[in-house]
Amino acid sequence: MAYGNALAALADPTRRVVFERLRNGPRAVGEIARGLPVSRPAVSQHLKVLKEAGLVTDRPDGTRRVYFIDPNGLAALRTWLDRFWDQALEAFKAEAERSEEGKQSR
Amino acid sequence: MTKTISIAPLSKTLTVKAAQAHAFDVFTNGMDRWWPPGHGIGATPVKHSIIEPRRGGRWYTVHEDGAEIVVGHMKVWDAPHRIVFSWEINAQWKPDQSVASEVEIRFIAEGPKTTRVELEHRNFEALGQEGGEKMRKDVGGGWPTLLELFKKEAER
Repeated sequence: MAYGNALAALADPTRRVVFERLRNGPRAVGEIARGLPVSRPAVSQHLKVLKEAGLVTDRPDGTRRVYFIDPNGLAALRTWLDRFWDQALEAFKAEAERSEEGKQSR
Repeated sequence: MTKTISIAPLSKTLTVKAAQAHAFDVFTNGMDRWWPPGHGIGATPVKHSIIEPRRGGRWYTVHEDGAEIVVGHMKVWDAPHRIVFSWEINAQWKPDQSVASEVEIRFIAEGPKTTRVELEHRNFEALGQEGGEKMRKDVGGGWPTLLELFKKEAER
């Protein structure tokens, strides 16, 4: 459930700050951690969770690695509900039409 | 200050080969016959999905482990034309009455045996405001940014 994962990942306040710091573009771990009351390894751990939730992605930049917001992850939030209703309505249509036909043939 | 951001509502339209009253009845009174069992937020699959047919009535699901979860409450009950209900699921995907988004479903007779069904899921910003309030306490303002990005992406 990508929608749930993404929102669950952002439920942690420190993780939201980490995510926030990427809004203006790609950043390395050191830059993200600067001024935060948590250690660099802790920041790396948060980045890992955000990455697993599909919200953040990374790429090498010279000798370091930079992290940035994955726009596809945000689309997933909405896509999840979109699919949820598509499936529900499809099942509804099938049942409404099936039972309507049954009514006629009776 | 709460930053209000509107997020494009989700809209769905489908045509059902059934009479309006029948379509309305199957949706509101026969959910057990079609609501997908995996479409619930309980720990186990949905066994029953029940809408209480009146304004203020609950839509709740009963799960295989016996748990009952309220999805929302009927704000408008206008059989066989329209229902509007709150969708009381928060950003952590948990039942929460304080953060309701809203769903409207319209049943429009296009012929004696043809009904157009229009669904709109809206007021997603309710999630953001709640998140935004928490955010002000926590870190001072990140959730609205997420919603801005979400809106941009959703409208792309």
